[in-house]
Parts: sequence; structure tokens; C-alpha cells
Amino acid sequence: MAIMKCDGLWLTRGNTPVLADFSLEIQEKSITAIIGANGSGKSTIVSVLAGDLIPDSGSVKLFDKEIDHFGLSELATIRSVVLQHQNFWLGYTVREVIEMGQDAPSLARVDQVMRELGIEKIAGQSVLTLSGGQAQRVSIARALVRDTAIYLFDEPFSSQDRESRQVLIDIFQGLKESGKTVVIVAHLADSDLGWCDHIIEKLA
Amino acid sequence: MKRIYLLASSLPLLLLLALSIGATEVDAVWATIFSFDFTSSTLDNQIIWQIRAPRVIAAVLIGAILGIAGTLSQAATNNPLADPALLGTTAGAAAGVVIGVAFNLVSLGSFAAVVAATIGAMLATLFTFWLARSALQLIIMGIAVSAILTALVGVAISLIDRPDLRSISFWSLGSLALIAPSDLLALFAIAVVVLLIALTLSRELDLLSLGDNAVRHIGRDPQRIRLIAFLTLSVAIAASVSTVGTIAFLALAAPHIARFIVGPRHRTLLIAAAVIGAVILLLADTGARSIAPPQDLPIGILVAILAAPLLILTLKKGQMQWR
Repeated sequence: MAIMKCDGLWLTRGNTPVLADFSLEIQEKSITAIIGANGSGKSTIVSVLAGDLIPDSGSVKLFDKEIDHFGLSELATIRSVVLQHQNFWLGYTVREVIEMGQDAPSLARVDQVMRELGIEKIAGQSVLTLSGGQAQRVSIARALVRDTAIYLFDEPFSSQDRESRQVLIDIFQGLKESGKTVVIVAHLADSDLGWCDHIIEKLA
Repeated sequence: MKRIYLLASSLPLLLLLALSIGATEVDAVWATIFSFDFTSSTLDNQIIWQIRAPRVIAAVLIGAILGIAGTLSQAATNNPLADPALLGTTAGAAAGVVIGVAFNLVSLGSFAAVVAATIGAMLATLFTFWLARSALQLIIMGIAVSAILTALVGVAISLIDRPDLRSISFWSLGSLALIAPSDLLALFAIAVVVLLIALTLSRELDLLSLGDNAVRHIGRDPQRIRLIAFLTLSVAIAASVSTVGTIAFLALAAPHIARFIVGPRHRTLLIAAAVIGAVILLLADTGARSIAPPQDLPIGILVAILAAPLLILTLKKGQMQWR
């Protein structure tokens, strides 16, 4: 069953169409990879699926209901989002950043998620001292502590080494096994996506 | 945080010290201070308790208010450059008072002037807020709004030739000599209320540092957090501008210095910035009164001399990164 459905999306930035009659279905309890070249608009799709960006026309449905009919807090209980870039400018600790604004059930999962992502040792470290890969895993941790039906990840592997990549793949598969829907955006050149159930190519 | 408590507990000592220093030599200065006799009409007593004391207390209150307002503006815009002067708030407060006085609605030094300043500050800040399409744009829009309002104040003062509007320099270069003792209670109340509101918002301000998207993704509205912060800092700035004019730089510097000492968590940062602001303004004003008597040096000069090296030092030693 399709948990999310985009139909005939149009979006222009200036004079450039980013989305031109774009349609897509995300199947429930599966892992979908959206791949595309640089500038093909694959990150835009994540923003649209997250409800951050409203296209010029077309429909985006979540559970058969238009996504802009959901309130912010309702949306937050349904989907978790990890964007590609997370800028930290203040020296909070890793644990503080993961815990910021989270509800009690999410807070209870923080230690476990940090262990799974291999960042438990840097829990007390300032986020300003992290490597790109560590910072990315901190952002991913913020999403993973939340118990939602859908998880959206924009280029989660972009700063990860082979080992961390495998850890993330195992986590994504674990999410699917526990009945979650996972959407990842990956670069066109990523040749190792055999573990995904569906691959959608976003042409420029 | 310990260091801030230490600094805060030094405040009473600094207050007493500030009372003992001034342009006029007071003979039995400590005896007069420790008499705590506010009503005696001897000259010494009047100098200490009726001239110096209101000013010293005002320095602490306004320093704290500016520290809190600066922290709120940096947090709300997610920008280390932000201060209330860059958001249009300060110019809005000045415009509010000038318009109020020009139309005979309020008189300077009255509580009504604080209200007029608050209305001006809020309208200007909301206008900036409404114009800007992103957190970064808030600053540039704020500068533009500020420029327009500052120009309007200048024109108004030139056109309406009234002594009670004070000079243009009053609105651009504040002075604590202008404090009216009747303002102190209102200043105190506003400092407390502003701090309490800011503290209840502290977790949300932490969250806002992750960016608007991160806030939205967990179901909060970043604009709502920003709006509360803006309204609160408008009240704070209005209180300060309407009583002593514009004091530049402190609202920008105090949060950075405080962040270096206690870290970024807003719960402690707000308190620390208030204490730092209070200490710096108290020292600056004491210097302004006593360095070249009987001249009263512009407070901005002393604030800059004290706060700028501290700001440079903390930024050099701190770990904050610039995007």
C-alpha cells in the first residue's frame, strides 16, 4: 500500500523547473531510494515529502490525506526527517543536541540510539568539534530516537565511511522489519543500493 | 555557572564601590553610605542617595535588561551578529517616545513614555519580522527599518523645536545621568518580567539554534518562538531607551562574553548575560562619572573600552564557529 503519494508536482525556482509533472509513490513498510545527479532536485523531493515545501501545483498525500492538512505537531508524530546539512554554531554537547525538544519516550531511547550509531563515546563532546560524519550521525540520531511511521533521510551516506555506512544500512533494515517506512536520497553514483526495495530515479 | 554566581555576588560590593565614587568629593563617604539614610537633607547624603544611588541602580537594571535583550535577539535570529539595534527595535523605541512627546501624549521620564517606547519598539520589530523571509534577512531588513526610523526621529526633532524632545544625540548616545528616580521601579519590574519570560522560553531558544527546519520537524513552530522572543526584547529595549537613551554595543557583547563563561544553554546563558551586562554597565557608568570630573563621559565610550576587549578575548578563546 502506498503510504505517500505525489501526483503531478510542479515547482519552479526562478525560471528553472525543479519538478515538472513529477509523480511518485512510497510503499508502506519498505525502503525506497530516490537517486539522481547533482542538481536534479532530489533534495527538493525530501522537502516536499517532509511537508517543508509546498509545490506550485500537484498533490502530496500522506495516508490518503493532503499533507498541508496536517498540523506541524501532527506531522511530527508521523514522520522524522534528516536533512543533508546541519549547521551547528553553538557548543552544545552531542547529547544535548540529540535531546533538544524531544518528548519523554524519545528521550528514553537516546542512549540506545547513540550506541547503535557509535556516538556514545562522544556524548559529552561539543558538536563544534565533530567531523562531518559524526555531525551527520548526530542529526540522524535526532530522527531515530523518534518513533514515527516514516523516516526521511537526505543523503545519509554522504560523509560516512564504509563501516558507518553499513551500520546505517543495518539500522534502516531494522526500521523496515519493525514496520517502518524508510525513504533515502542517494547520489546517482551510489552503486550499492541492492538492499533497498524500490529505487526511483529523479531525472534532472 | 559557579563563576557567574561569583560575579553576581560581587555585584553588591561593586554597587557600594560605585556609590563611593563620583565627581564630587564626599567627606564621610562610607559613613554616609552605611547610614542607609535616604531622607536626610545633608549635602553628602543627597549626593550619595539622591544623585548617585538612582544612577547606580539604573546601571545594574539596564545592563541586565540589555544583556537579556541581546541574548534573545541572537537566539531568535540564530545569528551571533544580532542585537536589538540591528532588528529595528532600538530605533522603534526612540521613534515611539519622540512621536509621543511631539504629540503631547507623553512626557519624558514618565511611565507613559515607557509605554510609547514599547509600542514603537514592538511595531518596528514586528515590521522587520514581517518583511524578512529568512532568519538571515531579519538582520538586513532590521538595519533598513532602523535607518528609516532613525532618520524620521532626526527629522521630527528638527521640525518640532521643543526642548523636551531632547537632542538627537540623546537618542543616539544615551546617558545614565538622565535617569529619573521614578523610573527605577518600572525598570525593576520590567527586568524581572523580561527575565522570567525569557527563561520560560529557554529550551525553545536552544532548539532554535538547530535551525528552523529542525524545529518544524519535531512539531514546533519556529516563527512562534521567534515572535515571543521579539515581543519580549521589544519591552526590554523600550524600557532602556525611554529612560536613558540608546546604549550601543552592550547587548551584542554581553551574550558572547556570557556564552564563553557558562556555555550555550539559554537557561544559564540568560542569567549570565544579565549579570555580565549589569557588571559592565555599572563599571562603565562609574568610569563615565569619575574619570574626568565634572565631565560626564558618554557611556558608549566606556562600554566600548570595557566590553570590546572582553568580546575579542572571548571570541578568540571560544570555540564558536561562523557559518
